[in-house]
Amino acid sequence: MTWLVNILNLSIKSHRFKLVWLGAFIILLFILPLFSGDYLLYMVMQMAILCLLSYSVNLLLGNTGLLSFGQAGFYACGAYACGKVLLAGTSLLPGIIIGVAVAAIVAIILAFFCVRHTAIYFAMITLAFGMMIFSLTQKWVDFTGGDDGLIGIPRASLNFFYIFNIKMDTIPAYYYFVIVATLIAIYILYRILNSPLGLIFQGIRDSETRVSFVGISVRKSRLICFTIAGIYAGLGGALLAPLEQTITPSASHWIASTDPIIATLLGGMYNFSGPIVGSVIYFLLKDIIVRLTMNWMLVLGIIIIILVLTFRGGVMGAFRAYLLPWLKSRLGKEHKNG
Amino acid sequence: MSNFIFQALNGLSSAMFLWLVAAGLTVAFGVCGILNVAHGSLYMMGAYFAFTSFQILGLNFWLSLVFALIGAGIIGFLMERFFLRRIYDQPIEFQLILTFAFILVFDNLTKMIWGTMLIIPTMPSLFQGTIPIVGRPFPIYNLFIIFAGIAVGLIIWVILKKTWWGMKLRAAVSQREMANAIGINIPTLFTAAFVFAALLAAIGGALSTPIRVCDSGVGGAVIIPAFVVTVIGGLGSLKGAFVGALIIGVISALCTLYIPFIELFILYLIMAVVLIIRPQGLFGGER
Amino acid sequence: MKKVTGILGIALFLIFIVTPAVNAAELPKVIKIGGQGVTSGSKADYGHQMIMGAQMAVEEINNSGGILGSKVEMKFMDSELKAAVATKNARYLVKDWGAHFLFGIDSSGVSMAMAPIMPELDRILIICHGATHKLTEEAIFKKGLRNTFRISVPTYQDGTLPAMIFKDRPEIKRIASLAAAYSYGYSAWEMFEKTLKKYRPDVEVVGKAEAPFLHMDFTPQLNALMAAKPDLILATPWGGEGLMMLRQATLLGLFEQPWFKVWFQCMGGSIDMAEGLTPDVKSGKFHGKLWATARYLWNWPDTPRNKAFVAKFREKFGRFPNYSAANVHTAIYAFKKAVEQTKSLDTQKLIKALEGMKVQAPDGERWIRPEDHQACYTVPGGNYVYDKSVCPNAFLGNLVVIPWEKYYRNPPDYKLP
Repeated sequence: MTWLVNILNLSIKSHRFKLVWLGAFIILLFILPLFSGDYLLYMVMQMAILCLLSYSVNLLLGNTGLLSFGQAGFYACGAYACGKVLLAGTSLLPGIIIGVAVAAIVAIILAFFCVRHTAIYFAMITLAFGMMIFSLTQKWVDFTGGDDGLIGIPRASLNFFYIFNIKMDTIPAYYYFVIVATLIAIYILYRILNSPLGLIFQGIRDSETRVSFVGISVRKSRLICFTIAGIYAGLGGALLAPLEQTITPSASHWIASTDPIIATLLGGMYNFSGPIVGSVIYFLLKDIIVRLTMNWMLVLGIIIIILVLTFRGGVMGAFRAYLLPWLKSRLGKEHKNG
Repeated sequence: MSNFIFQALNGLSSAMFLWLVAAGLTVAFGVCGILNVAHGSLYMMGAYFAFTSFQILGLNFWLSLVFALIGAGIIGFLMERFFLRRIYDQPIEFQLILTFAFILVFDNLTKMIWGTMLIIPTMPSLFQGTIPIVGRPFPIYNLFIIFAGIAVGLIIWVILKKTWWGMKLRAAVSQREMANAIGINIPTLFTAAFVFAALLAAIGGALSTPIRVCDSGVGGAVIIPAFVVTVIGGLGSLKGAFVGALIIGVISALCTLYIPFIELFILYLIMAVVLIIRPQGLFGGER
Repeated sequence: MKKVTGILGIALFLIFIVTPAVNAAELPKVIKIGGQGVTSGSKADYGHQMIMGAQMAVEEINNSGGILGSKVEMKFMDSELKAAVATKNARYLVKDWGAHFLFGIDSSGVSMAMAPIMPELDRILIICHGATHKLTEEAIFKKGLRNTFRISVPTYQDGTLPAMIFKDRPEIKRIASLAAAYSYGYSAWEMFEKTLKKYRPDVEVVGKAEAPFLHMDFTPQLNALMAAKPDLILATPWGGEGLMMLRQATLLGLFEQPWFKVWFQCMGGSIDMAEGLTPDVKSGKFHGKLWATARYLWNWPDTPRNKAFVAKFREKFGRFPNYSAANVHTAIYAFKKAVEQTKSLDTQKLIKALEGMKVQAPDGERWIRPEDHQACYTVPGGNYVYDKSVCPNAFLGNLVVIPWEKYYRNPPDYKLP
């Protein structure tokens, strides 16, 4: 047991050890296609996309203290834009880039209206905008396909300035693309959050007045935060379009916005790795429950209720607050006894 | 022109359902500070209980309304006492997600208990038939709904302004600490207020059954328009909920007549505009 | 050393649980079939009826020796009427659970989303409800996505059949549409309007209204249509919404109006609607003006085979079979026949076997057209009557039977009938 506690201890404290874990995790991701079936790869891709969406929510929630109930709107913008571009016949990268760009533009425009508010009004107005996007996707039949959505989006090949052309038809091929894109995106976010800008975000969450006393424009920082969050949600959507090859309006509904919120709460709002952990667990939960019972809503609902009432720091928070001290105390007892 | 009037009247009757759910939502928020996304589910439970007592047990219409109130009241009590009470001082995301989980639970439970058959009872004979208005037949039941909604509004107004309990409630809302200091039992009051909110939603649901099919998905569907109404009227303001419901109900109906394809969009646009220009809504004060 | 063994152990474990083996060379002991339908919300009855139909078929097949000796195992999942959920479930059912065959699917939109992924999954899908003609005419015939079949009647039933019924009634001149705001609703109306106008140029469209999903209040749409005083309204909102719509229509007194002659409820013949409409039909609220059709009617034709199917279904489940149940039942038998003919589970062989196959359904023989994989069979239209001695629920009587050849569109040019 000692070795286990030592590893856990080091994981929390030593930066280098964390990198070892990270490295092992990344290596596992890369060798997964060698021994697993298509469905597992498909699941991991969906988790990665949910992870990006969760980071989008977490950026606003865990870092600036704002709950957005409309991130699904940007997700859908990215997905529809990428889908339309790919349906026009381009290769993969233009689709993804344009998807992200459209989401970013929409985010910048909406940011001006949203960031004036806090807490509950922010949640309400993001809900309103998200549902406006939903009604557009449903009603603008000529452009979005209405309720049936975009169908038959090609999983275009990755064409890098005509230097190389990788086909993405197979699941493993697209899997590598999604994993690489997600890892790069998460790394960029990590750098942002550990930069001076990231400190400002956290400062805003903790105390707005102090931040503004120091001379920093709270509003401008919120605008930037909101836009970045929109970009990440849009990236998730853009990666989804070639994967599912279908995008429907339900992707932008407020209920779709609850998935990343629950995943973020599940993983833990105040840890950087919270969204990853939360997305994996939430996705697995939902996927497995659905296989086992038709009453999946009941089971999921009960789990969420228990989660909210007991583990507010999510899995990572509970890990640090309960599991680790418990292990340490057990270790202490063992040492005493011999 | 008669088309316009007739359609507006239609809008008025559908506004009453919005008003009843929004009223409950706004009371729960104004008094307890809870944004209860599952309020639509309480509306749904009211409908199911009313249907069960009216259609299956064969009780008369008014008695089935009472049963609906009792049933939903109990559920509301359980929700508040054992679950919502614990998250009053938690940030909003926990409230929203907890109450969202309740939507899932209620949705599934109703499916398990009542099955997937469609819930629509016969129209009580008292209300069958139409009355000509501007030369077109207008259902008597819809007129009844309009009057019922206004009646409920008056009852609420009387309770809040004229009764001792209502005064306590208003005190607890505006000056919670003082109210506590002079001996008003805040937790019990909150429970009572939430049950009251649940009853409002339940009446809405119960009254809706003869003209709107109820199914297990209704809880999640009805909450969004109710939200729009509450925001427009102002969170915490009953007058706002009523006026907001009228606005939304009538505009919805007129949109369907004249510009059907962007009806939904307009509703959310109004909500967004109100939030941008006057976030506290038409009648809401600073919280 | 321990760590290496540990990693190997994890790797082996993962391989075992996630890579199912599907050996097409010889038949496995257990043949797995995966179904999907909507089992939540206002349309939940359709999915549940599918489950019942599938359970009955699987039980019958297993009790009579299975498929060439192999037992059949069925798994059913909730598609929630969403394309994203349905495609995910399909991937899970095939790649992880090991399904050899997929069936079901309620929504037109979801059907269109499923067709492109079936070749990737290398399996056959037989659609049992989703009706858009675009599936067979465009996705299967034009684009060549040949892994998908449809065992149920398409929107020809909703659009061209009523046109063929009412073209011979001169009192029907002013028509109006109350459409479900998605491809199914639009296709059905388009076909009805165009076909009727072809035979009756004097017909005019006096009103068009539409209602999105989850719509609760149809009075605005009904009002708008009533103002135009149509002779006939063609309505496509189905399930719970359809029932609500009809209740609200009776409240508005639509059926009392002398100028109003026909309400054609496209999928009105389904069991959930029949059960819900019974009180109002019984008390004569519809005055015989409520017409409907479906994708199978339990009371037509009056053959021993159909009667036996209905009786067995009622005994087992206590309810009448909906068309989703009957169609799922037929689809599974079609698959069985294909496997027995080819003695294999090879997808391409099964596709060839199904093309042109004549399969026995409770209501008679269905021919699966090879060009676009559409099953061809007749379902009549009728109006709602109540007769306690025949059935506790209301049902469609005064049936008008028009053979499918007269109202289907046919490849390659799919001209209106």
